[in-house]
Amino acid sequence: MTAPVRLSDFENAIADALPEGALLDELMAKGLPHRRVEAWKWTDLKTVLSRFPAEAGEVILHASREPDAVAKLEREPSMIMPRLAAALGGDCAVYELADGETLNLDFIGSATGHRIVSVTVPAGVEAVLHESYQGGKGSFANIAVNITVAEGAKLTRVIEQNAMPNSALVVTSGLSLGPEASVEQTTLGFGAKLARLETHVLHSGEGAKLSMNGAYVLGEGLHLDQTSNVRHAGPNGETDELFKGAVAKGGRGVFQGKIHVERAAQKTDAQMQHRGLLMDAGAEIDAKPELEIYADDVICAHGNAFGAIDEDALFYMRQRGLDEASARAMLTCSFLAEPIEKMNHEGLREALLERLTDRLETL
Amino acid sequence: MPAVKETIEDVRQLEADKYKYGFTTEIEQEYGPKGLSEETIRFISEKKGEPDWLLQWRLEAYERFKQIEEPDWAKISHPPIDYQDAYYYAAPKDAAKYKSLDEVPQELLDTYKKLGIPLKEAEVLLGVEGAAETAAEARDKPRVAVDAVFDSVSVATTFKEELKKAGVIFMSISEAVQEHPELIKKYLGSVVPVSDNFFATLNSAVFTDGSFVYVPKGVRCPMELSTYFRINAEGTGQFERTLIIADEGAYVSYLEGCTAPMRDENQLHAAVVELVALDDAEIKYSTVQNWWPGDKDGKGGVYNFVTKRADCRGRNSKVSWTQVETGSAITWKYPSCILKGDNSQGEFYSIAVTNGRQQADTGTKMIHLGKNTKSRVISKGISAGRSDQTYRGLVSVHAKAEGARNFTQCDSLLIGDQCGAHTVPYVEAKTPKATLEHEATTSKLSDDQLFYARQRGLDEETAVALLVNGFCRDVLQELPMEFAVEAQALVKVSLEGSVG
Repeated sequence: MTAPVRLSDFENAIADALPEGALLDELMAKGLPHRRVEAWKWTDLKTVLSRFPAEAGEVILHASREPDAVAKLEREPSMIMPRLAAALGGDCAVYELADGETLNLDFIGSATGHRIVSVTVPAGVEAVLHESYQGGKGSFANIAVNITVAEGAKLTRVIEQNAMPNSALVVTSGLSLGPEASVEQTTLGFGAKLARLETHVLHSGEGAKLSMNGAYVLGEGLHLDQTSNVRHAGPNGETDELFKGAVAKGGRGVFQGKIHVERAAQKTDAQMQHRGLLMDAGAEIDAKPELEIYADDVICAHGNAFGAIDEDALFYMRQRGLDEASARAMLTCSFLAEPIEKMNHEGLREALLERLTDRLETL
Repeated sequence: MPAVKETIEDVRQLEADKYKYGFTTEIEQEYGPKGLSEETIRFISEKKGEPDWLLQWRLEAYERFKQIEEPDWAKISHPPIDYQDAYYYAAPKDAAKYKSLDEVPQELLDTYKKLGIPLKEAEVLLGVEGAAETAAEARDKPRVAVDAVFDSVSVATTFKEELKKAGVIFMSISEAVQEHPELIKKYLGSVVPVSDNFFATLNSAVFTDGSFVYVPKGVRCPMELSTYFRINAEGTGQFERTLIIADEGAYVSYLEGCTAPMRDENQLHAAVVELVALDDAEIKYSTVQNWWPGDKDGKGGVYNFVTKRADCRGRNSKVSWTQVETGSAITWKYPSCILKGDNSQGEFYSIAVTNGRQQADTGTKMIHLGKNTKSRVISKGISAGRSDQTYRGLVSVHAKAEGARNFTQCDSLLIGDQCGAHTVPYVEAKTPKATLEHEATTSKLSDDQLFYARQRGLDEETAVALLVNGFCRDVLQELPMEFAVEAQALVKVSLEGSVG
């Protein structure tokens, strides 16, 4: 019944690069995700990319070391964007982290490119993964990151997404947490013409812990979509999410968070909070914090609040002799710092806070 | 924390085999042609002696219906519905001829009596004759005017004359088409456009009956208005259309009840309700929805796919939706408020209980367009058995809605480990001068009160139960008296142990 969609030149160029098969058929039938697709409601990838040059390029990856292996992906992802990344991004770079290691992965988009990497944290290992994303003018980078954290392992993941006013970015990460594994993920994002950081987490074993936090600052013409889906399949799992963002005139922030608790995941404790600050008229924030719960003995909560800077606080600070601009900047900064201050890694925490302050000053 | 025993017992009371309204009425009925076609639509329109413009309106809707697809975003699942395998018109024979209650056949009066709505007695005992009644008496015996809709037609409307004296128009929509075409033309489809969504479009093409209310300028409607919907005939769907207009400064409270017999097949109920509130007007709309939910294995039951929307057009207008939802195999319903007038207010209070294999995807939409608009959403969901329940709500604040405020709270409780409870709140904000809060935790609701109650020696669970029950009662108090009793019986369920 669905009327066939019209593909843009951009989509046709991707289709031309694909081999025959199910993925090509799907792309031809549905095109890239657009606002009529529920999960992409506020991030119209199809429309934005239709105005991008249909020029093949690549995603350059500067890594702090060589991968342990370069291999074909064992299992094909299910969603269209990581499937495209797997099909067009060449073989997957595989990293196995050592105890105490910090792995840096810097991704730079040039024209239209795809890339897929896989990171494993073996049982009992404690490691840091630091990713950064940027892109040149007119570039679209589609990246898939697979992370497996084995039993009792600990991963600190930091994602820095630079302001990319003329480019587009889609990063789809899949994290699988083994029993008693623990992950602390912190994102600092400044947006792009269109940017989507999508994270899927599976608590597959018992007693895994996830702390997933993020801050975003979006200036004029910048968009950032942080979408997450946390699935509790094992009992006694914990998830704690805090996302905060400030959006200036002409910017658009999107937060879509889902916590899914399966029947087996009794005693799950999951919390999700999103707070948005609209700095000027003409800013927009859209949010959908979602719970899907099938177990009856769990604690799950979510909160979502939007507003402007507290006028009383502003008044108080001005009484103390601060000019309005500095007072606003200070209040905004302290508002946004909270998710970052939750980080345990001191060095990374200080670095992120500094970047946040710098960004607010240039806004 | 898991639900306590008392709660579980109370919910069991609501299980399918306890459904009291599952009987059928033996009465000679006539049907329209089976299936959905232009012929069916022409048949309905002709039966009702409608003017040509309304027939054209219906046919246009049917054209649109053929082009749109059934929505699939709701968290519900059911076998595909065969729209050709149902009757779109069923009515007691000669229904169109009832001039007054005296002509309504005894079977029908008995049916309503059995449902707890004695149409005739109500009018005789409390009605027109009771002119000597004092104000105190009126308070003791609150009167309710009832429009009774049986399958596709309205069979009786009580207290019509008395309402007329106050200037209030309360009649079935079919009569209103004949008697007040100017109002129907002006307002029908002005809140829910013909092709708003799949089910609303279907309704626009085949709607049969429903209620029409017009409260003129400055009038406070002297009594509660109510419509009781009953599906009786086999293999039919019910497609009612309700239109309520409160003119400047008017006030009306309207309540809606619905039941259906127990049948093995699924019956479709696709209604459209439109409310219009002009400057300073207030509309209170309450629903106790108790359609046959199907048996415990999910056989039969009503598919309740309803579009309800209020347009707060005027400054300082107010609309409040209160619903107690316990019936239907599947519910798909989002009573909404478009807050267009400056300082207008929208409220949504909901208690939904699902059991057996029921599925409910319900919530509200609050669209803030005017300045200083306010909305408040309180939703309590209880899932038991193998049921699934979703709260889906949208709060949207447009760029010009400076000073808008929203508070949303939705809690859900699972009883047993075979059911599901889901929350999908959508929030869109386009102005910095709005304050939007969404909460979904029990403890946040009442930290201070909880502390106080515990100081008085109550253990935590009892204290939470006390507070949440107290709150529930607040929601129930939003309901007019007649339904409050019924609703209280339905929701004698404590909500301790709620999860976001």
